[in-house]
Amino acid sequence: MNIQEGTKPADDAPTVSAVRDIEVDRAELNRSIAEFVDRNPDYYARAFHTIHDTTTGIPRVFNLAAAVFGPLWAAARGVWGFFWGFLILEIIAWVQIGRGTWGELGADSIAQAERQTARAQQFLDQAQAARDAGEDPSRFETLGNNLMRAAERSREAADAAAGDAFMILMSGLVLLVVLRLVQGVWSNIVYEKQYTSWRVAPESVSSGLKIQNVVFGLALVLVIMPLTVYRFTVENVAEWLTEFPANPDHYADTARWLEGAIDSAAKSGSGAFDGIVLAVRQILDTISLALIGTPWPVVMAVICVFAWRAAGPRVAIFTAAALAYIALLGYWEIAMETVALVGAAVVLCVVIGIPLGIWFGKSERAHKIAEPVLDLMQTLPAFVYLIPIIAFFGTGNPPGILATIIFGMPPVIRLTALGMRGVPDSIKEAATAFGASRRQLLKDVELPLALPSIMTGVNQTILMCLSMVVIISLIGGGGLGKVILEALQFAAKGPGLLGGFAILFVAMVIDRIVQGAFRRADQK
Amino acid sequence: MAEDVVELSGVWKVFGARAAETIEAARGNGLSKAEALDKYQTVIGVRDASFSVARGEIFCIMGLSGSGKSTLVRHVNRLIEPSAGTIKVLGQDVGAMGPKELRQMRATHIGMVFQHMALMPHRSVRENVAYPLEIRKIPKSKRWAISDHTLSLVDLTGYEDRLPRELSGGMQQRVGIARALASDPEILLMDEPFSALDPLIRLQLQDQFKALVRDLDKSTLFITHDLDEAIRIGHRIAIMKDGVIVQIGTPEEIVTKPADDYVREFVQGISRLKLVQAHTIMEPLESLNGTSARGATRVSGDSDLDSLIDVAIDSDKPLIVTEGGNDVGVITKTTLLRGIQGGR
Repeated sequence: MNIQEGTKPADDAPTVSAVRDIEVDRAELNRSIAEFVDRNPDYYARAFHTIHDTTTGIPRVFNLAAAVFGPLWAAARGVWGFFWGFLILEIIAWVQIGRGTWGELGADSIAQAERQTARAQQFLDQAQAARDAGEDPSRFETLGNNLMRAAERSREAADAAAGDAFMILMSGLVLLVVLRLVQGVWSNIVYEKQYTSWRVAPESVSSGLKIQNVVFGLALVLVIMPLTVYRFTVENVAEWLTEFPANPDHYADTARWLEGAIDSAAKSGSGAFDGIVLAVRQILDTISLALIGTPWPVVMAVICVFAWRAAGPRVAIFTAAALAYIALLGYWEIAMETVALVGAAVVLCVVIGIPLGIWFGKSERAHKIAEPVLDLMQTLPAFVYLIPIIAFFGTGNPPGILATIIFGMPPVIRLTALGMRGVPDSIKEAATAFGASRRQLLKDVELPLALPSIMTGVNQTILMCLSMVVIISLIGGGGLGKVILEALQFAAKGPGLLGGFAILFVAMVIDRIVQGAFRRADQK
Repeated sequence: MAEDVVELSGVWKVFGARAAETIEAARGNGLSKAEALDKYQTVIGVRDASFSVARGEIFCIMGLSGSGKSTLVRHVNRLIEPSAGTIKVLGQDVGAMGPKELRQMRATHIGMVFQHMALMPHRSVRENVAYPLEIRKIPKSKRWAISDHTLSLVDLTGYEDRLPRELSGGMQQRVGIARALASDPEILLMDEPFSALDPLIRLQLQDQFKALVRDLDKSTLFITHDLDEAIRIGHRIAIMKDGVIVQIGTPEEIVTKPADDYVREFVQGISRLKLVQAHTIMEPLESLNGTSARGATRVSGDSDLDSLIDVAIDSDKPLIVTEGGNDVGVITKTTLLRGIQGGR
């Protein structure tokens, strides 16, 4: 053991024994600030020191360049948030100044006064003519004098507006001066914040005084400022500024071309599309037959018992009440059709979605390609894809199920992939080390460990499919959605509300049962 | 010399696209790790490793984090493919095996224990232990019987139907050991099995493991970052640094003749009492210089310093070291104290 090691004195650095002895190393800070600001390092070093030393209130720093050049300073220094904020505020000030200076504020009143004077003059001329002809001019005189008075009032209004113009001009000027002062005070504080984040990420935070920033900022100011001020201050604005020069022919041509393309695609692929519709109809018919063909007491009893086993007695009682409501109002068959629609959609979502999810969970590349498609499926409004679905698959229940699948499948895919990726590598490695094949690994390790996530995905998918049930009635889907659509078309309040409650109860019963079942599976 | 069950010769592992070029360059002019990253964008994980594990031996690979020891051990059951070199397990070339053969070899001949246990959370303790047997399609009745027996070997009888998360860390790792033993493999790969456990449990498990391996006659490749553990458990130790095996030797060799400064620094804090044996520190009989050896206590050559101290306290005379009935050397109190210090 080296005894000297512990007592070796530190001879190169001055001894700091307490926090209060620590001195600020300004030289190192100044070098860093100089590197950041590029131009005017001494000024900014002093300003930043003042900001650093200030503990309460506003630091006493004023940036003359920011006050004089306004947003251009911010652009030159790359403080873009500051630039945009003050550019918009300054536009407001400049619009006020413009209106006050050349805005012709009383223009309409003056025009009115001139029109009225002209008419009055006309009447007075007629009065003169009548007097010359020896007739009674009083009627024309009264009219002319009245109009003269009205013209006088208009002129007064115009004068008042012109008087306002001075106030508006002054308010604009005051606003501009205040804005510049605020920029002068605030700029260094904001710039110091930018410096702090520049220290963390020098490559992504703008630093120094860059000529391209100045040019870009100037170009933005020159485009935005005059056009906006012109638009808001001049009476008769050139038309190209207020209306986008759209060409209606483009629209018509594109729409016609698209229609042709869809029609020909639908025709050439009709065999495949018909096959898909047929397959979906088979699934739907099977489920419908089971739900509607079976005597209603049996189906009701099975649903209630299932609710009890899966989610407990309270849900079972609620289920019984909901079923009674549906049945008593004569919605039984229609409600079962809705359940069959949702069931067929969910079955297809799960059968297609889980394998896809497994694939996307394992292959990073497939996942990268699929991610934007899944986003699109979820963000696209349903009304948009209903049209191509009609074009390719026609109307009725099977196309409705296909539309439901587009909306409902992403959650189960996403959550299956998420679950697969969440399986710890160490457990997979252990199974591999004991000789598991890929299939055994999937069956014994990955799927069981991803199961909670997959079940959440299935639950989400069921709820999404339920929410589509009303929308698919637009393309001929049946069930409770159709009841509501018809009520909507005739503004029938009573039937609409009754049907609405029926669909609500169906949704709640399915949701309660599924959640209850999954919760119990989780606890296992 | 017993038969070698695991044999690695000239194994390299280089991560990155240009592995072959890196190995070529590193073989030629001793390319360093930093240079490889700079020049070829590759990371050298294992550099030219060769060693063999004899039947019944516990072979420890000791190194700090990032020294490549975990990478190296995964070559034995080919969880990681070597970039160069050959690996033989029970005389068979692992690199030449097809996927089916490889799975067969993993399932029957090699058991592995992991640092973070890696038990399946959704299966009971018994089902976890039985999993290697399930892979081999052994019937359930047999599986359960075997796993119950293996669990009894690690003193976990009564916990068969619990889930892993209901067990403490030490117990979970015993489940891991039982799982590795379940298919009765010749070879055990232990990847820092006790590192995540607290020190007392670790000591217990080390002793339990050592006894178990001796009783069951397994050959073990044991990875650790703890030299104390390596010395307690290992028959031989390989010390790794930056992917290179710096020294291979018995614990006593490592402690008394460190190959370089790196190893020396490591062994500095290691207690020599149980490691260094009499014949290592003894001086030739001539150094007695005619002093009477009569009445001197005789000790055997392989007794350790600890027991020599006990003897030396009871006697004023120097100790005579005997081997095979002959006097071969002498240990005075000075020699003994210097020996404890580390031969200065």
